[in-house]
Amino acid sequence: MATTATPPGLVDLVIDGKPVRVPAGTSVFDAARMNGVTIPTLCHLQNETPVGVCRLCLVEAGGRVLSAACVRPVDPGMKVVTNSDKVLSARKTVLELLMSDHPTPCARQQHSGDCELETQAHAAGIKQARFAKRSVARGRDESSLAIAVDHDACILCDRCIRGCDEIKNNFVLGRMGKGYSAGIAFDLNSPMGESTCISCGECMVSCPTGALTNRGVVGTAIAKTTDAQVFDAEELLQIPVFKGVSGTFLELNTGAIVKRKFRAGELICKEGDFGSTAFYILEGRAQVSISTPIAHVKTDGGAKGFFKKLTSSLVSRTEDKRDEERRDRTIPIDASVDLNYGSPVAELGAGDLFGEMTCMNFYPRSATVRAVSDVVAYEMLRNVLDIMLKNKSFRAQIDANYRRRALENHLRGVPMFADLAPDFIEHLKESVELQRFSPGQMITRQGDPADCFYLVRIGFVKISENYPGGELVLAYLSRGDYFGEIGLLGGGVRTATCTALDHVEVVRISGDDFRQMIERFPTVRAGLAAVAEERQQANQQRMQMLQTVPIDQFLSQGLMEAQSLLVLDLENCTRCDACVNACADAHDGVTRLVRDGLRFDQYLVATSCRQCRDPLCMVGCPVGSIRRRNSLEVIIEDWCIGCGLCARNCPYGNINLHPFEVIVDDPEHAGRKKAAIKQKATSCDLCTHLKEPSCVYACPHDAAHRVDPKTFFSEMLGQGSTK
Amino acid sequence: MHMDKTQRGWAFASLIIFAASTVGYVIYALSATPAPSGGSVVGLFFGITGFGFMIFAALLGARKRVPVWRLGRAQAWMRGHLWLGLLSLPMILFHGAFHFGGIMTQVLMWMLIATVGSGLFGAVLQNYLPRTMTTDAPLETIYDEIGNVRTLLREEADRDVESVCGPLGLSHGQTEEAQRAGGFTAMRPLAAAAGARGMVAPAIVASTSTAVAAAPEIILLTEEESAPLRSFYVNEMRPFLERPGERGQALSRPDKAKLAFTGVRTMLPAVAHSALADLEDICDEARQLRKQEQLHHWMHYWLLFHIPLSLALILLGAMHAVMALRY
Repeated sequence: MATTATPPGLVDLVIDGKPVRVPAGTSVFDAARMNGVTIPTLCHLQNETPVGVCRLCLVEAGGRVLSAACVRPVDPGMKVVTNSDKVLSARKTVLELLMSDHPTPCARQQHSGDCELETQAHAAGIKQARFAKRSVARGRDESSLAIAVDHDACILCDRCIRGCDEIKNNFVLGRMGKGYSAGIAFDLNSPMGESTCISCGECMVSCPTGALTNRGVVGTAIAKTTDAQVFDAEELLQIPVFKGVSGTFLELNTGAIVKRKFRAGELICKEGDFGSTAFYILEGRAQVSISTPIAHVKTDGGAKGFFKKLTSSLVSRTEDKRDEERRDRTIPIDASVDLNYGSPVAELGAGDLFGEMTCMNFYPRSATVRAVSDVVAYEMLRNVLDIMLKNKSFRAQIDANYRRRALENHLRGVPMFADLAPDFIEHLKESVELQRFSPGQMITRQGDPADCFYLVRIGFVKISENYPGGELVLAYLSRGDYFGEIGLLGGGVRTATCTALDHVEVVRISGDDFRQMIERFPTVRAGLAAVAEERQQANQQRMQMLQTVPIDQFLSQGLMEAQSLLVLDLENCTRCDACVNACADAHDGVTRLVRDGLRFDQYLVATSCRQCRDPLCMVGCPVGSIRRRNSLEVIIEDWCIGCGLCARNCPYGNINLHPFEVIVDDPEHAGRKKAAIKQKATSCDLCTHLKEPSCVYACPHDAAHRVDPKTFFSEMLGQGSTK
Repeated sequence: MHMDKTQRGWAFASLIIFAASTVGYVIYALSATPAPSGGSVVGLFFGITGFGFMIFAALLGARKRVPVWRLGRAQAWMRGHLWLGLLSLPMILFHGAFHFGGIMTQVLMWMLIATVGSGLFGAVLQNYLPRTMTTDAPLETIYDEIGNVRTLLREEADRDVESVCGPLGLSHGQTEEAQRAGGFTAMRPLAAAAGARGMVAPAIVASTSTAVAAAPEIILLTEEESAPLRSFYVNEMRPFLERPGERGQALSRPDKAKLAFTGVRTMLPAVAHSALADLEDICDEARQLRKQEQLHHWMHYWLLFHIPLSLALILLGAMHAVMALRY
């Protein structure tokens, strides 16, 4: 070869003593590869622009220093050595340095044993790095449902960035920071799940280590059932609703979506069950209903005679009206329709999505869904639903369904909007904006200008105010609740901070529409103004309370907002549990009191509902049936489905489930009834039907007292208030 | 029940009854011919009154069985139990004119004395021990939960030690995820009180994650550095956490425990001190639970003597009444 002239456009060089001829401009790395010489690399991929950042492909190319083969173009007559001692030693040092900055084994090595860095280090005989490990962790980002990011495992090879930018042209990933704090970043360093990333999976496929890994199919049980038809990615992409979804993603999540067929009458999902999937109906009709009696628990009987045993029963709001009970006509459920209070049954059809909250937030199913005709539906896990909701065409279809079928009900579900004229509702259907928020994302900030009104469509919104002593949670709003009216009606400034607690979707009504609405419909204005005033008064009361008691102690103990506390004087209490037994006796054997709780000096604030400042019990209720009265007491509305989430969420164990035997439709035999046990959540009702709470009445040692906390603790803390 | 000014009404009424009965008895004893006896009208009056008091006192147990029946506050019943039960002794002594009589009546008298004595003993215990328990065991938990709390404490201690010494090869329970165990939730941040978070709504986990007590930070020491802690834990602390009631455990005494922990601390590098402090807290909590257990036994186990004895007394008393009146 050396004897013949080199043709134009080609370059002759020698690699490891072997003469080779390659096109001009070829990198040393490619020249070697084309001629059967393998040079190790980490940052270089054939389909990405070489950047030469890992320096593992170092070779001797005749220069003063070693060159990175992936970015060094060939020169005529160049003599390249890829395996000299000097090169091998330098590569080993590079590997050791990279390994010192890499958790061993990383997630990928643990799962599949193919972390490229660790494989190469192992091949180079590196067992323990000579250099000190990184002392400051860069952290993990698990905000995305599809991809886990372990910044500690990232070796800054930029393969993910080039995959995102050059291959997929998404331009979401980039570099941030300098030195030890350098890393990859999504958008302007947002968490991946909150960024504009569409989870196409290219970065994950490109990553040589465990820095970007597939979070996997969450609970593959759906693919394991016999009637489930699993798709491969090719097939899925042919289905209209998957148009535009990343094929890579679908390949990585095979089994996370299945097609199911339900015969007429077959149960699709049951209220109260925990689940992790959503359903998208492709064909057929399904009935959505609540089978738990629409009623609340009422305990009665003891006040009328000495020996009459107390009994608890289920009564509807028509039989027993409670203070500040909601008079809603609709019950919010996890579907594109709401249910009617009087007859909680509705129908879903092709194109409807249900189970979104269960799937995204793992809340219990809010209603029972049964096939009316033969139904074909896609059942999908969270990662698939998430990616589908990011798909514009699917999103548009779901939103259109919502606007067409549920928005009106949703608006009219707010009592003061019940009188809106149909034409205005039609106008709103077109003009409102449907917005999504990720967990923790702020929707409005206290003090910001108020420019719109929000109606919660999906998820939970935390309403809080900042006080000198800390944050005070005013409420958790769920589907059907609204916020933002105080700012619009008042001084034009937000009076509270509203934060998405989970995956939240809201209906945003612009300030102009809102103003138009309240001008055109005086009853709406009056209703909203009344609620706004009520809310402001409640806030002022809280402020007064905060000023009269030491806030830090009350906030830290969670007693500040309690209306009535069961306090046990531990110096009198012989721990005989007579109070607990009395509570159980008063409530059909289900105690609502546990003799445990916060201690304040010699007093134990026993576990009975204390109407906390942060009522965690209200988060996650799939039908929004637990809420506060304006007096802050907890009330459980009639449409509680007894799923028990509130009981599990209450940090103090103050909510209990009361079982009742009721007659329900027999799922096995259409048209027949059968007895079933249904549960209803209950919390301490202070034995309002009796003159004195049973726990206090039954304490033989003068240890149990029901007290007004403000008075009681103020007196105890020497604040001068009278009892 | 606290013996305080709230007892004044009952104490005053009992004193009047006692004084009146004493005066009545003295007059009767001085004027009676032949000598006073239980079979006389006055003697029978004292006997019936005393037995009535005993029955009322015994009815407290029945009252507790129906806590929501509006038969008067349990507190009033308890006071009646204490004071009338106490008064039954002089009444019966007046009834028998301070003579114990035959075998049956002798047995009855000694049973009555033992019942009233045990009741007084119990009243004294229940007057003082709640205060002692409140002071000495601020981390007390529900009595029936002590076993579970101990398990949680042990698991937490294992995690702490393993975060410094590496795996100990000890078996772990199901509650790996549980937060700091034990005691009233008073000592813990609100979110940590939620306990195992498996089924809690994810939103709650998200919203409270900053408040949740962090898992022990893993600062692995070399084998040589961690040897003193490993040895101390395996040989002294874990046996104490497993069997806190066993005699001869150095850690069961606060002063000795303090010395032991100080000794270990001096042998460990500073990075392990926070883990050691946590272990010391765990030991303290375990000691408090032991103390609670002991006090609970004292506070309630005397009833195992008092209740059967008083029931037997009522039964025998009734038999005595029937036999005396009939024969």
